[in-house]
Amino acid sequence: MRVGVEVGGTFTDLVAIENGQVKIAKVPSVPSAPDEGALAALAAAKLQMDSVEDLVHGSTVAINAILERKGASVAFLVTKGFRDLLLLQRHNRRQIYDLFYGKPRPVVGRRDTFEIDERIGPDGTIISSLDPDRLTASLSSTLKAGEYEAVAICLLNGYANPVHERTVAAWVAENFPEISITCSCDVTREFREYERASTTTIAAYVQPVTSAYIARFAESLAETGFSGRFSIMQSNGGHLPAAAFSGNAISSLFSGPAAGVNGAIRQSTLAGYKDLITLDMGGTSTDVCVVTDGRADLSTETEVDGLPIRAPALDIVTVGAGGGSIIWIDDGGMLRIGPRSAGADPGPACYGRGGEEPTITDAHIVRGSIRSEAFLGGAMYIDDAAAHAALEPLAKRFGMSLEEFADSAIRVADANIVRAIQLVSTERGRDPRDYVLTPYGGAGPLHAVRVAEELGIGTVIVAPNAGVLSAFGLLAANFAQYDTLTRKVPVNADAPAIVRDVFDEMARNAEKAFVAFEIDASPRFAPTLEMRYVGQAFEIQVSLDPDNLEQLAEEELTSRFAEAHIQLFGFGGADFGPCEIVSFRLGALAPPSDLPALREEESLEHGPDTRVFDSGDWHDCSLNSRAGIRTLKSVTGLALVEDATSTAYIPRGWRATVDSHDNLIIQKEGVPHERG
Amino acid sequence: MNEVKQNHVDPADQAVISQGLIAAAREMGAKLIRSAYSPIVREASDCAAALLDRHGNVVAQAELIPMQLGSIGATFKPCAALFPPETLKEGDFYVNNDPFHGGQHLPDVFLFSPIFMAGTLVGFSATVAHHLDLGGGAPGLNPHATDVHQEGLIIPPSKYNHAKDWSGGPLERLIRANIRVPDQTIGDFNAQFAANFIGMERVRALCGKFGVATFEAAMAELLDYSERRMRHAIAEAPDGVYFGEDALDDDGIGDEPLPVRAAVTIDGDSISVDFDGTCDQVRMNLNCPFASTIATALSVVKSVLTSPDIPFNEGSLRPVTITAPYGSILNPKPPAPVRARLTASYRAYNAVMKALAKAEPEKVIATGFDTTESVCLSHLGPNGYRISLEIFGGGYGGGPVEDGCDAVDSPMSNCGNVPIEAMDLEYDFFRIAAYSLRADSGGQGRSRGGMGLCRHYEILKDDVTFATYSDRFRLAPDGLFGGAAGRCAETHLKRGVEILTLPSKGSFALQKGDILMIETGGGGGYGNPTERATEKVKQDLEQAFISPETARQYYSIDAAAE
Repeated sequence: MRVGVEVGGTFTDLVAIENGQVKIAKVPSVPSAPDEGALAALAAAKLQMDSVEDLVHGSTVAINAILERKGASVAFLVTKGFRDLLLLQRHNRRQIYDLFYGKPRPVVGRRDTFEIDERIGPDGTIISSLDPDRLTASLSSTLKAGEYEAVAICLLNGYANPVHERTVAAWVAENFPEISITCSCDVTREFREYERASTTTIAAYVQPVTSAYIARFAESLAETGFSGRFSIMQSNGGHLPAAAFSGNAISSLFSGPAAGVNGAIRQSTLAGYKDLITLDMGGTSTDVCVVTDGRADLSTETEVDGLPIRAPALDIVTVGAGGGSIIWIDDGGMLRIGPRSAGADPGPACYGRGGEEPTITDAHIVRGSIRSEAFLGGAMYIDDAAAHAALEPLAKRFGMSLEEFADSAIRVADANIVRAIQLVSTERGRDPRDYVLTPYGGAGPLHAVRVAEELGIGTVIVAPNAGVLSAFGLLAANFAQYDTLTRKVPVNADAPAIVRDVFDEMARNAEKAFVAFEIDASPRFAPTLEMRYVGQAFEIQVSLDPDNLEQLAEEELTSRFAEAHIQLFGFGGADFGPCEIVSFRLGALAPPSDLPALREEESLEHGPDTRVFDSGDWHDCSLNSRAGIRTLKSVTGLALVEDATSTAYIPRGWRATVDSHDNLIIQKEGVPHERG
Repeated sequence: MNEVKQNHVDPADQAVISQGLIAAAREMGAKLIRSAYSPIVREASDCAAALLDRHGNVVAQAELIPMQLGSIGATFKPCAALFPPETLKEGDFYVNNDPFHGGQHLPDVFLFSPIFMAGTLVGFSATVAHHLDLGGGAPGLNPHATDVHQEGLIIPPSKYNHAKDWSGGPLERLIRANIRVPDQTIGDFNAQFAANFIGMERVRALCGKFGVATFEAAMAELLDYSERRMRHAIAEAPDGVYFGEDALDDDGIGDEPLPVRAAVTIDGDSISVDFDGTCDQVRMNLNCPFASTIATALSVVKSVLTSPDIPFNEGSLRPVTITAPYGSILNPKPPAPVRARLTASYRAYNAVMKALAKAEPEKVIATGFDTTESVCLSHLGPNGYRISLEIFGGGYGGGPVEDGCDAVDSPMSNCGNVPIEAMDLEYDFFRIAAYSLRADSGGQGRSRGGMGLCRHYEILKDDVTFATYSDRFRLAPDGLFGGAAGRCAETHLKRGVEILTLPSKGSFALQKGDILMIETGGGGGYGNPTERATEKVKQDLEQAFISPETARQYYSIDAAAE
């Protein structure tokens, strides 16, 4: 049996799969102790723990440690003259007209930052050498007095030559064996010292907390009789056995969103589609991500609480539009949605827990697209009258009927989601019409088809049990490890050989790591170059074919880069100017031994058809289950398709079928469709 | 509650088009930065982007640099007056950097590209970038210029065609021949054009989806919307006439302070700012073109009185009237040099803020360092010029609740720093030896002023030129409501065992082994220091943001006893 346990902000979800049979559990999360929620989910699913071969876990423990500033006490060691890197940051403001602006608060204070007399040049040459004896004199007593749990080391130009960071790390290890050590050269080898220092200190900050959590959870699992492999999800979309996190906790920061994308990729692949835009809509926000040929985009620029992190993570864009987002009219008379959310408590007005402000969920109640008796499979009480009362004053101000206003508010929320998708598609030179949309999360399938309509997307795929797709995604994830190296190489006749050599060495290291982690499969490689025109400062990603590195030629490097530049910025070309490689990134990926599929457990019973208000009028709307659609072969809009974890809405002009994997395939009528 | 009246656009369409316009402007700005060549644009983000309607009203902007945002419309108008929009063809563009015809200072070159939808003009996309060098009497910055002609190439309001005049055409060749680092500069111009093209595409997509008539009505409504919200906010402030005053240190030649005076009249939902009584224009480059003065006054009004989420466009200008005497430092006559215009602009900023402090004491902050300290290092090597241009701010003034922000660019600008490692990769004639917060530089008070910063440069070659302009070397930023003043800025040069003190404005020859030490000023404190929470003082001591002497002097706290 293989089990995925995903801890989210509100719920902890579990998906267990054995011989094609799917078991699902959903229990409340325990924010102060995520493992308790996870163990409760295991108990609720009543699993035979000694028959679990693989357990993959994603948790919020690292990200919560940052948001609540409850990580380790860290000493930060930095090159002499640069003690204030973390406080100076980038000297700019995020809100230009905010007089009371304050910078994001770093995880390490000034009094815990210590300077080391050394300097390395941008090409790795040593400008001022490091004297280990002086370390003892300058650091011994302060590190002792500070009672630190972790040390972060980030020296200037350490990405070009890590020798000084290694020397300092060895000294700390020798003198303070109990302190956890993080070097920038092990976390991110890219230039720009503030971003690298921020990443290194955050890595050090979450390491002890994460290690302790993993150890504690592993112990609890052992007590349940579990003796299989225990793996942890990473931000980059892959997972690794728990042992790999003893020095790399930061790679687990954004595991939740990454898991969902994996789940969407797996189910859509089963349906025959490999180019997707994923749309995860929950209570407070919506996450979107682009997947091309079955692979999600990676980004090396993310942040938590305003603090930059330079470690590969799935390139997910978030907008503040969720089911709980508040609908309001500002003092200039503009209709606005969010970013404020009613959250889980009091929640939308229709929850009847005292929420008075109207939310998107309330708007769905008013226009009929959420049926109060079917919300969360009918498990929750919904107060229709409260939803109507909350929307009424706003509708009056626009001189609109209640349902007309509700539909307008949903359109504005849809537009926010469309904006997020344009950010990852159109703005990166991609046409969303070349993709299918894969919604999940409680509210995703309600909005997806109208979002697709706006973007000209012709196909929407809703996986069965789309509300727990993230937990399923843990099971569908590859084993994955990424390595990045900054090394400036001009693109000329010598470049292809250098590219081969660098990637060869990285590949050998990755293979060694996989052996050390006891992963039996040998990895497939995904080499990517970060390139730019000489003189530019930001690089763009150029993926290479791993099977074609031997034949790689200078012209191909130039032309691949030029194409990518034109696609992104609208100018450039092979003869535009000399280009260069700035960094090398190699992904090593191995799929899990058997790829699972998510199924629908059982179909819900349905009452008579209903009515939904859409584009100016009330329309009859059929109520369906997947089993029912299978019998009918297909249904056309207006239609609702309900299951235990979410509801899909199909407007007029769209037709839905169910494939052999229980996926709901919703397509625009009258448009020829090709499978990706 | 009143019924909401709009220009007959469906409220959902209105919200969608407004967001689409703002997003398009933001995308233009982001792409300009990421595809640019010079560190001043690509690392420090000294640029801006906007979308205009077909009359030249700015409708949406990327919020990057306040100074460049407030007046894009003013820069457009002289172009349109000379070359009427209805005569434009696909591929044409306007260009303008003329400080006496709606421009700012010469390095800020504005490009406007008309957007056509099926042959009909529907608007303009616009970008401005600070170019590293545009010729003139010295690389990057000529602090000795006594007229605008010595500051670089003037490109008066004009119309060209991209295919015909750029990309190897006569305009590109003319500019290339007159500047010192053409590859970087022409690269930045190309990034500007590309950003304009992206804006065009996004606007066309919106027009295609909603139709030109709805799109134009929505643009008009977005202007009205910003106006309504501005008026709404202004109406909440008490009516009256309020005065404020500040001064520049000197003109870079003499040592007389140069006063700037503001009278702010709040009358219902309108506001006017009059700079009558401000000193005359000066011989050196501190003069602030009127477009820059407008942007300045508007920024203070917006920051103090209104919510930060009001889209800044031509509509937000309507309730605000700004006047300054012609021939004054805030509305100079040609051919006054204007390169360091921000210096005078900031004193106007401070004077308006002080006036508003009397009307809305809880919405203002104390005077900050509020100066652009420009540091230009250049060197002529065997492969031509290398120019490094950096912009530094210091501490913000303290506010009613929070301490002032530390070491951040000043309010009218928003440049990032250039990373030390980027400097190391880019320049071989100097190396940054230290970069830190300047402890004890914030003015003490109930809320402390922000701290300034220190940046030290080790010079690695002979014949390096250091050119600079700054201010607040003599006159410290005032505290507010009993707060203490922030510390002044200082520049020193360590040459061997000698330490020289350098003035705020000028140009100096450096040699190998010199250490140039820049220290910018802190912000003023807000409220009496005796009202500061002891806990905050202790935290400041613990992090060494203040010295034990300061703790004793202002807060009667004995660090040794703690």
